[in-house]
Amino acid sequence: MSGVRRQIAFPGPERAPDAAPSRVSGEARPDGGLLTVRAAEGDEEAFAVLVREHAPALVGLATRLLGDRAEAEDAVQDAFISAWRRLPEFRRQSSFGTWMYRIVTNRCLNVLRARRPVTSLEAAGEFAAPEHDFPERLTEARDAVRGMRRALDDLSAEQRACWVLRELDGHSYEFIAETVGISQEAVRARVFRARRCLTRALGAWR
Amino acid sequence: MTTHTDPPDRYTGPDGDDEQLACGRLLSGVWDGWEQADPDPHRATCPYCKDAVRELTLLESTVRELREETIPGETGYDPSALTRRVMDVVRMELRPGRPVPLGDDDEDLWVMEAVAARTLRAAAETVTGVRAGSCRITPPDTGRGEVTVRLEVHAPLGVPLEEVAEEVRRRVTGAARLRLGLRPAAVDIRIVDLVDGPAGFEEGPGDD
Repeated sequence: MSGVRRQIAFPGPERAPDAAPSRVSGEARPDGGLLTVRAAEGDEEAFAVLVREHAPALVGLATRLLGDRAEAEDAVQDAFISAWRRLPEFRRQSSFGTWMYRIVTNRCLNVLRARRPVTSLEAAGEFAAPEHDFPERLTEARDAVRGMRRALDDLSAEQRACWVLRELDGHSYEFIAETVGISQEAVRARVFRARRCLTRALGAWR
Repeated sequence: MTTHTDPPDRYTGPDGDDEQLACGRLLSGVWDGWEQADPDPHRATCPYCKDAVRELTLLESTVRELREETIPGETGYDPSALTRRVMDVVRMELRPGRPVPLGDDDEDLWVMEAVAARTLRAAAETVTGVRAGSCRITPPDTGRGEVTVRLEVHAPLGVPLEEVAEEVRRRVTGAARLRLGLRPAAVDIRIVDLVDGPAGFEEGPGDD
C-alpha cells in the first residue's frame, strides 16, 4: 500500500497547519525518497546507503560506456562526489537513480572526450584480416566482439555514448536525448553514424 | 570516419555519412524503418534494402554477444570499496550548513543543523514503523533562543495517526532537550506517507 500517498500535518501547539506540498513525491520506492531527502539535508549515512545501492548498476553503465572497469569506477566515484555537492539543489523531479544515471553518463562523456584520439590508420590496422583463418564459429564470434570493442574506440564520444545507451542499455531515443542533453534527432544521427562505422569495421574485419 | 569531433550542435539532416542505395532509398531510412519494425513491402523485396538490413542484423548479433559479456558483470559487483572511497571524501568535506543554538541565551554554544537532525530522526524512528525524512531546525530571527523543529515521517498503516504523531513528537522533543540541549518552542510532525510495516506501539529506547 505504499502507493497510498497522504499527507497529514500535525503542527505543534498554537501553530497553523502548514499547507505547503511535501517535497517527498514521485519516488517509486518511499525509502529511496526518504534517503534522498536526508542526504540532501546533509545526512552522510543516508548517502552511504544510496551509494552502496546504486553503485553496481552505475559501474556497469560506466564500464559499457568506457570499456574499462577501473576507469569506470573512477568515473562513478567522481559522479557520486559531485552528486553529494549538488544534492541540496536536487529538485527530485526524477528519482535519485535516474539523476545519477545522467551524472555518470555525462561524466563518462567527458572522460571519452579527453581521451587521445586513436588515429584511423592505427585502428584500420587492428581490423586487418587475420593472417590465418579460424573456421570455428565460436572463435569467430569472440573475435567479432573483440573487433567491435576496438571499433567502439574509434567512435566520437557522443556517438559512442548514444550508441551504448541505445544498443547495450536498450533506452528509447527520448530517454537518451534527455540524459545526454541533445535533441532526439541528434541522438538518431549519432546512433546511425555509430552503426555505420561499426558495420564498416566489422565488414572489413570479415 | 577520420575525426572524433561531431559537427557543431545542429543536426544537418541526412548527413555525409548517409548513403543512397541503388534503389534510391537512403540507408538511414532503411535502417530506421527496420528498427521501428514498420511494414514496408519494398524493403522486404528490394535486394539492396535486404542487403542493408542484413548488414545491420549481423551487427546486432555481435552486439548481443557484447551485451552478454558486459551486462552480467554488474550483478556480482561488490560496492564496498567504492562506497568507502566515496564516503572518505564526503566525510572530509565541510558542507555549508546552518548552526542552531544550544543552551541558554547567554551561552555561545551551537550545533550544526545536520548533526542535530540526525539525533532527532533517530529518536523519531524509535517509534515502531516510523521512518524519518526531512528534519529542519529553525533558529529564531534573533539568532539565539527557542528553535522550531519540523519533521517529516512515513507512518505505519493501521495505527491511529494522531497517536503516532503525538508519540513521535514526545520522543523527538525529549531527545532535543535531553540529548542535545536544544530548546524547542514547537515540534511539528508531518506525516507524508503511510507505509506497510509493523503496526502498534512498542516502547522503543525513548529518552524520557
